Amino acid sequence: MSEARTDAGFNEAVRAYAGDLFRYAYWLARNRQQAEDIVQEALLRGWRAHAAIRDRGAVKSWLFSIVKNEFHRATAKDAQRAGGAGSIDAADLEIVDERASPFGMELRDALMALPLSYAEPLALQVLGGFSCAEIATMLETTEGAVMTRLTRARQALKRLVLPVEVKERKGEKS
Amino acid sequence: MNCLDYRRVLLSGIGESEAMRAHRPACASCAELLKEHAAFENQLRLALEVTVPAGLADRILETAPASGDAATRRTGFQGRRRFLAAAAAAVGAIGIGLYAWRGRDDPMAMACIQFVMKDEAKSIMMGAMPRAEAVRMLASSLPVERLEQIGQIRHIAPCPFGEGTAYHVILMVPQDKVTLLVMPDTSMPARARATHDGMYASVIPLRKGSVGIVGANAAVVDSVASAIRA
Repeated sequence: MSEARTDAGFNEAVRAYAGDLFRYAYWLARNRQQAEDIVQEALLRGWRAHAAIRDRGAVKSWLFSIVKNEFHRATAKDAQRAGGAGSIDAADLEIVDERASPFGMELRDALMALPLSYAEPLALQVLGGFSCAEIATMLETTEGAVMTRLTRARQALKRLVLPVEVKERKGEKS
Repeated sequence: MNCLDYRRVLLSGIGESEAMRAHRPACASCAELLKEHAAFENQLRLALEVTVPAGLADRILETAPASGDAATRRTGFQGRRRFLAAAAAAVGAIGIGLYAWRGRDDPMAMACIQFVMKDEAKSIMMGAMPRAEAVRMLASSLPVERLEQIGQIRHIAPCPFGEGTAYHVILMVPQDKVTLLVMPDTSMPARARATHDGMYASVIPLRKGSVGIVGANAAVVDSVASAIRA
C-alpha cells in the first residue's frame, strides 16, 4: 500500500470521525479542553501507526480505542492533580445546545453525574454505533458485562430525570 | 420472550429482535414502553451530541507530521536546535546517504521494519510505560534524557522483539516521526541497514546493546542515528 494512499485514508478517517471522537472523549473527560487534547494526541499516535492497519474496516473502532487509551493514560498522569477527569469547568457550563429541551438539559446533567464505567459503553453505543460485542472487545470485557452496564446506565439516567409519577407507574424506587 | 426479558433487552439499547417484535402486539405494556424508550433514546442522542470545536479535524491534520513527501505537508511541531544541526549535515550528504542504503538488507534492520509495519499499532494500543520506569530501564543503553534532546517522545513501552525485549519509542523530530527499538541486550558489531516497502531502518551499536531506527525518510533516519551517536 502506498504512503500517499494510506495518508489519504487516514485523513479521510480523521474528517469522518473527529466529531464523534471528540464527543466520546468529552463524555470520558467531561471537559472540552481536555477532550480536544485527548483527541489531538490520540490521532497523532494513530497517524504514526495507521499504515500498519490491515483491516480498513476496523479503523473506526481502532480510533475510538486509541482515544480511550489516551484518556486513561492522561488520567493516570493527572491523577494527583485536583479536579482532573470528571471536573466541569465554567466554559463547559456555558455551552447550551439550542435543540436541547429542559428534559434534554436535565438528561445532560444526569450524564455528567454518570459513573465512567457506565458512560464509557453508553457513549460507544450511542455515538459510535458499536454493537455490544464490539464494545466488549474495546473495553476488554464480556458482552454480558457490557449489556449489564448499558442497562444500568439507562436505569440510572431515567432515575435521575424521569418525573416521580412516571417512576411510580413503572414501579421504580426513587 | 416475557415482559421482563423484553424490558431488559430494550434498556441495554439493542434494537428489537424478532422475538421482541413477536411479543409486543400481545402486550400493551411493552408496546407503551417501546414508545417511551424511543423518545428517551432520541433525547439521549441529542444530550450526548455536544458541540464539536470548529475546525477540529483541520487542526489535527495540520499538526500531523510530514510524510515522506515533506514538501507538500506542513508540520506544526517545533524543531529542536540540536536535531536541526544534525539534520542539516545529513541533508548536505543526502546523495552519498541514499547510495549507502542500496543493497543493505541486514536481518536485524529488516526485523525493525517488520515491527513497524506489523506490530507497532498493537504496541501503541497496549499503552505507554511511566516515564520514571523508562528512565530507569534505558539508563545504561540510551538514556531518555538523551532522546528528549533529539525530539519529542510520543510513546515509550517495552515490547517483545526477536527473542528478547526491546523498548519501543516513537520520537517526533521536526521533519517526521521515527520509531526506535532500543535493545539493551542485543549487541551489534557495527551499523546495519535495510530498506523495504518505502521504509528505512538503521541499527547502531550503543554503549550497552543497540538501537534500531525506522522511518519513511532515509535522511531523517540517518540524522537521528547521527544525533544518537553524537
